[in-house]
Amino acid sequence: MFMIIIITTFCHFVPQMSTKEKLISHVMKEEPIGCTNKVTVVGVGMVGMASAISILLKDLCDELAMVDVMEDKLKGEVMDLQHGALFLKTHKIVGDKDYSVTANSKVVVVTAGARQQEGESRLNLVQRNVNIFKFIIPNIVKYSPNCILMVVSNPVDILTYVAWKLSGFPRHRVIGSGTNLDSARFRHIMGEKLHLHPSSCHGWIVGEHGDSSVPVWSGVNVAGVCLQTLNPQMGAEGDSENWKEVHKLVVDGAYEVIKLKGYTSWAIGMSVADLVESIMKNLHKVHPVSTLVQGMHGVKDEVFLSVPCVLGNSGMTDVIHMTLKAEEEKQLVKSAETLWGVQKELVL
Amino acid sequence: MSVLQQLITPLSSAEAPPPRNKVTVVGVGQVGMACAVSILLRDLCDELALVDVMEDRLKGEMMDLQHGSLFLKTSKIVADKDYVVTANSRLVVVTAGVRQQEGESRLNLVQRNVNVFKSIIPQIIKYSPECTMIVVSNPVDVLTYVTWKLSGLPKHRIIGSGTNLDSARFRQMMAERLGIHSSSFNGWVLGEHGDTSVPVWSGANVAGVNLQKLNPDIGSDGDKEQWKATHKAVVDSAYEVIKLKGYTNWAIGLSVADLTESIVKNMNRVHPVSTMVKDMYGIGEEVFLSLPCVLNGGGVSSVINMTLTDGEVSQLKKSADTLWGIQKDLKDL
Repeated sequence: MFMIIIITTFCHFVPQMSTKEKLISHVMKEEPIGCTNKVTVVGVGMVGMASAISILLKDLCDELAMVDVMEDKLKGEVMDLQHGALFLKTHKIVGDKDYSVTANSKVVVVTAGARQQEGESRLNLVQRNVNIFKFIIPNIVKYSPNCILMVVSNPVDILTYVAWKLSGFPRHRVIGSGTNLDSARFRHIMGEKLHLHPSSCHGWIVGEHGDSSVPVWSGVNVAGVCLQTLNPQMGAEGDSENWKEVHKLVVDGAYEVIKLKGYTSWAIGMSVADLVESIMKNLHKVHPVSTLVQGMHGVKDEVFLSVPCVLGNSGMTDVIHMTLKAEEEKQLVKSAETLWGVQKELVL
Repeated sequence: MSVLQQLITPLSSAEAPPPRNKVTVVGVGQVGMACAVSILLRDLCDELALVDVMEDRLKGEMMDLQHGSLFLKTSKIVADKDYVVTANSRLVVVTAGVRQQEGESRLNLVQRNVNVFKSIIPQIIKYSPECTMIVVSNPVDVLTYVTWKLSGLPKHRIIGSGTNLDSARFRQMMAERLGIHSSSFNGWVLGEHGDTSVPVWSGANVAGVNLQKLNPDIGSDGDKEQWKATHKAVVDSAYEVIKLKGYTNWAIGLSVADLTESIVKNMNRVHPVSTMVKDMYGIGEEVFLSLPCVLNGGGVSSVINMTLTDGEVSQLKKSADTLWGIQKDLKDL
């Protein structure tokens, strides 16, 4: 009897293994490598979340970090994404208002800031968003000093310039989402007119992401067939087919969607994921994105405008030199002057 | 000659063929749009139709998706409040209706949503009599029953999104405790999509290793490791996300795209979805609850006979009783 009591008492001192310990033996002695393809999205508004879900559904990163100042909304959005982990291939999704969660990002997408109200132009948002960037950009740089910064917030060309100034990054690591979306809208409308998929319709919109964007009519083609050769009036006032309307629909497109649903999100989110893909996968694909165009096409000032750029994992490495008509170059210079007029008043 | 005529020589004057994998999403709220975007980004359909009563919002959402068409492989995206745009759908996802307010249970929404469904379901059937339907609106189990009654479709063609999402959340939370990917943790949550869902602890396993054999107390109140808390977190998670951001959408959207894929690609994958369970597990009433169902192009082709403990069976029956208690009072079905 005494022996039994001793044995029973002794058994209670043997530590019980947890279910995890019984199931799994950790065999690696070194520290785990951790994530090597991290993307951060700053801002969990409609554009930020559309960018996040597009990036996740395209399997572009092994870690996604989200940052915002609205703590409850941020936490809710991160939880909602985490609950979909079974259906995704991104193992780590984190969020915090503290930028330390963004450390070691390869690409940081900045969507934070005020958005256009119905009828408001993008340029109106500028000073409000500059002030927000003064807080955001240094925090990003602190934790991901080697990242590629992608600016989406509007007015994107000016804010890309602001991000470049505030970050101190070399120009190849600061990219504005620019006219990647305008060109996508243009190709969609062109596709509808010709009953073709947009990816078979080639057309480039360059310059300002906004009211003064420049459609390069001379480059519009299908299978290498230059459409302006078939219709020399294309893009001009006297054109019986009114192709100029296609560009007008692109410029008005955002305003119209905002009027109908309050904001735009899906198209810009997919456009951002398209750019992030080229960077993360080092594709060397050409996209119309906002970059420093000083010295090109007669632009004298330090402005950012969209031109066709080669994107890879180093960032924006090369610019395609477009052959523009004199009229098109004039429009670019005019955009640059408008943007510089706003930029020089900014308090950075 | 127009540019189009100069550029392109048509070879066939035949009408464009009808879509083979058309998906309709009814309701362009946060859940409907998350479903739409997940389905589009997974390349699951060749045509997407959106329907809602809020015309401006509907048009805006349609335009926003169309503007992204360069990045997608779905060449036709249409929308209208008239159900004629939904014609010939292979699959119809119903997300329309009112959603839970903070702190409100799913069962509270029921009569409000029955009335909404009375205007929706007959229209869907009119234009797509051969479709399969996935009901997402809450309370999903009751509304799947309502849809079945209002549509007249055979029961294997009406699916409730059910506990596909609860199981996904369960697998994510359990897997996180173990340090592995959710797809490597096999665990099923069945029954009601809601407060009385049933975690089948007896089946939980990793690489075939049954966790209950390692820890016989797993899921019980006496369990030192409190694994039961993980299931509670699943039940609470929707309420928590709603409290933080006002609604949930991404996880349910991804979950619906997962079900859509099995149906559209005729995969015969097993998912926990809400199906008619009368005469199973001693349930005598016509209720819909989630069980592991084999999904393919025809809808629910079969049900897996889970080996459940007596406790788990009695929980299912209790859910069934609660749901029938609500269903029998519904008017005008």
